[in-house]
Amino acid sequence: MRGMMHVVLLRSTAALVLAACSNSSTGTSSPYTVTVKSGDAQTDSVKRTLPQSVSVTVTDKSNGYPAPGITVNWNVTAGGGSVTATSATDAGGVASATWTLGPVVGTQHVQASVSGGTPVTFTATALGPVPVFVASVPIPPNYGIHSTYVRDGLAFVCAWNTGVLIYDVGNGIKGGSPANPTLVGSVATTGGRVHNAWWFHNPVTSENRYLFVGQEGLGTIGTSSSGDIHVVDVSNLAAPVEVASFHMDSAGTHNFWMDEPNQILYAAYYNGGVVAIDVSGTLSGDISSRLITKVKPGGAGNTYTWGVQLHPGGNDSLYAIDMLSGLWQLHTAGGTLSVTSGGNNVPNRYSSDFWVTTGYIYTGSWDWARRTNLAGSLLKVWQLDGAGHPSPVDSILTDSVSAVSDVKVSVDGKLLLFSTEGGSYSGFWFYSLADPAHPTYTGYYAVSTGIHTVTFATINGRLYAFGAKDPASPALIILDVTGLDQ
Amino acid sequence: MTFLRVAVTLLLAAPLAAQNPWGTWGAQAIPSLTQANVVPGGVALAELRVVQPVLMGQAGAFDNHLLGQAVLDGEGWTMPNGELTPGIWGEAFVDRRHPHTYFHELMLSGIDLLGSLDRAANVSISTGKGFAPFGSDDPMVRPVQRFPMNHHYSQILERAVLILGVRAGPVAAEAGLFNGDEPVSPSSWPNMDRFGDSWSGRLRVTPLPALELEGSYAHVRSPENREPIGLDQVKYHASARWDHGPVYGLAEWARTSEGGGVYVFNSILAEGAWHLGRHLPYARYEQTERPEEPRTFDDPYRLQRPVLEDNLLGETRWTIITGGYSFGLLQRAGFVVRPLFEASWIRVQRVDGGLFDPAIWYGREEGYQVSIGLRLGYGMTMPRMGTYGVAPSDAGRTMSGMSRMP
Repeated sequence: MRGMMHVVLLRSTAALVLAACSNSSTGTSSPYTVTVKSGDAQTDSVKRTLPQSVSVTVTDKSNGYPAPGITVNWNVTAGGGSVTATSATDAGGVASATWTLGPVVGTQHVQASVSGGTPVTFTATALGPVPVFVASVPIPPNYGIHSTYVRDGLAFVCAWNTGVLIYDVGNGIKGGSPANPTLVGSVATTGGRVHNAWWFHNPVTSENRYLFVGQEGLGTIGTSSSGDIHVVDVSNLAAPVEVASFHMDSAGTHNFWMDEPNQILYAAYYNGGVVAIDVSGTLSGDISSRLITKVKPGGAGNTYTWGVQLHPGGNDSLYAIDMLSGLWQLHTAGGTLSVTSGGNNVPNRYSSDFWVTTGYIYTGSWDWARRTNLAGSLLKVWQLDGAGHPSPVDSILTDSVSAVSDVKVSVDGKLLLFSTEGGSYSGFWFYSLADPAHPTYTGYYAVSTGIHTVTFATINGRLYAFGAKDPASPALIILDVTGLDQ
Repeated sequence: MTFLRVAVTLLLAAPLAAQNPWGTWGAQAIPSLTQANVVPGGVALAELRVVQPVLMGQAGAFDNHLLGQAVLDGEGWTMPNGELTPGIWGEAFVDRRHPHTYFHELMLSGIDLLGSLDRAANVSISTGKGFAPFGSDDPMVRPVQRFPMNHHYSQILERAVLILGVRAGPVAAEAGLFNGDEPVSPSSWPNMDRFGDSWSGRLRVTPLPALELEGSYAHVRSPENREPIGLDQVKYHASARWDHGPVYGLAEWARTSEGGGVYVFNSILAEGAWHLGRHLPYARYEQTERPEEPRTFDDPYRLQRPVLEDNLLGETRWTIITGGYSFGLLQRAGFVVRPLFEASWIRVQRVDGGLFDPAIWYGREEGYQVSIGLRLGYGMTMPRMGTYGVAPSDAGRTMSGMSRMP
């Protein structure tokens, strides 16, 4: 286990001072004039390729007309990084280059010149590898926000007794963006207590019609639970309608994972274990009969399953994380479930959320009630062998918090994110997965009241972290974490 | 509160001579040294605190057709982090009794409002900040210094209340409206936006002058959240109380259910005291079930608020047997000094599973609490705190079994 250095990085960005730059030059020995056309004064994270290329216009001094076919030389003069070495002007006298920022936080420069001429200078501001606050969307305190599911630029905010709130955060349907989430529609599902959601993109029917909504009912953690799965027709995002529900006696649902090609919803069901549900075709009314199978990985009295996730490599492994009995590997085929390996492997703590990558699994722990006298919350790293069996290889202890409440890995597999709540070091935690067996601390964004759940979303080429801020002032917090994802 | 304003205006406007006004006041405080070993971390912990520091007053006018009652409580200053009391919980404290609000009671009652119109009956209206008509008397006016665990099962305190009371002979009935939210700090006031979202009723029968039988019911909207977003509580209470001469006794049963009956908690309690001259031996038996909820990381004696998902970590059943002795050291010129000693045997057990394990949390499942204190008082005898208007019989307005105590 490795101790963790709790360093709260200043979120303020690096200096925004822009160095003075010349935007045109003639040069005494050159027959051409070079002027900045576009791409100056951009801002991005270190090591990122600027979204807009840098361009100059070259004109003939003698007549002022654009000069085509002239070679422009590009050079990085401050900050490191790289830029296209040379480019030729087009018919309009314009030459462009692609600029990738270097590792230096602050002001960086690139110069463009023609032979014998004085260069013009471009300036960019490089943000450090820190999470950058983008937006905070207040959620009605009822009790607030539990989790967020983001897909296709839409954020489905699970807002407990307020219901599901659908925000445009880059989809375009309402002109929203991560910096300006715009409400598209909402629905209050039966019984409230909206916990989680999954927007089903059905590749068989090509429909994106159904949103599956988990309801977390009352229960005694570790022993009993309640709550149904509600199916909402979101064909009209502005006016979603609940159309079906799934109920299981004496157990309540928790987190989902969907096998979309096979149209199977896998749901963690706390003391009910893991459940597979056929969600093909049209869903209407009571769909409890669509239960395919269910399994209690730890057996009766030793099962309280938090989450499930399919192995991304498609090896028919479904992993389950159980608060009582730890990490399990299940075999699934067509919805059938059987235990393959794992289990009873986190005896000192109660497990919480997890994330599965091709070769590794990251599991959290939940410390609101201590299982032993060990303090702090632990994130464990598991390596998968060729058969998908997990073995622990590392761990990260976050002291002074009551739970690692959610765990996510970015789509490119480079960045690990977990949320913490209930203590001094509550908020977003980021770790680099350059070595996926041994994550290294990259960044922290403090939220004193705690972050209950997190999720990643890539929107317009940038990586965002969405977090559910706990009461007393619940909110959807959005961070730009592009700079961390490298 | 409109009634309160009208009543005060009348009181001030009427000729003083016509009011037959009277008033009395008193004060109390108990410096107390307590040690207990059923505490988070499994160690023995000792603390010295001044508990129950109160300044109280009663006043009447219009031939006692108008009665006022006030209790100012200084626990917010003397024990802002609560009183070490294993097992107790409420108002976001756990294993420590919360400090009461600075204005514990501030009540005004109109008595016998219908005069002879209601013949032998007697109708009263009471309003202000105080107790809802439910359950038994505030533990502060009972012999045992240690608060019972069932404080929030057997009393609904510090709310904005409007109470209609009717007494006919040995039967008294009360119905009250109040705000469901419980206080969140010593300085907090009831959330008046929520006034009327909760109600209760209490029936008392006095078949003998010394014997009072009581039954109560209450529906409390979201008591644990300032905004009405939490679970509602349905509460039942029944008791038999004997208070005559040197002997005081109380037996009570209480039941609180939450979430439409998903969570149910029961309590039984029996206590008694017997004045033998200057000596006051007393005892209590209590068995009470308690929800186990997430505690804050930084302070294991505080519960996470606002409540997140309303799920419990488990449930525990506490059995507590307390014996105590108090001695009248001094009673002169209105001053009373009574040293006291109390000892409790405590057992905590898990009920119906859950993650919370007292053996982990406390390092034991049985333990003790001992207290040495000095009950200091001046002035008036404690009234039956939590009862207003015509609800008590005339003989029951004060604790006769406690009449030698401040």
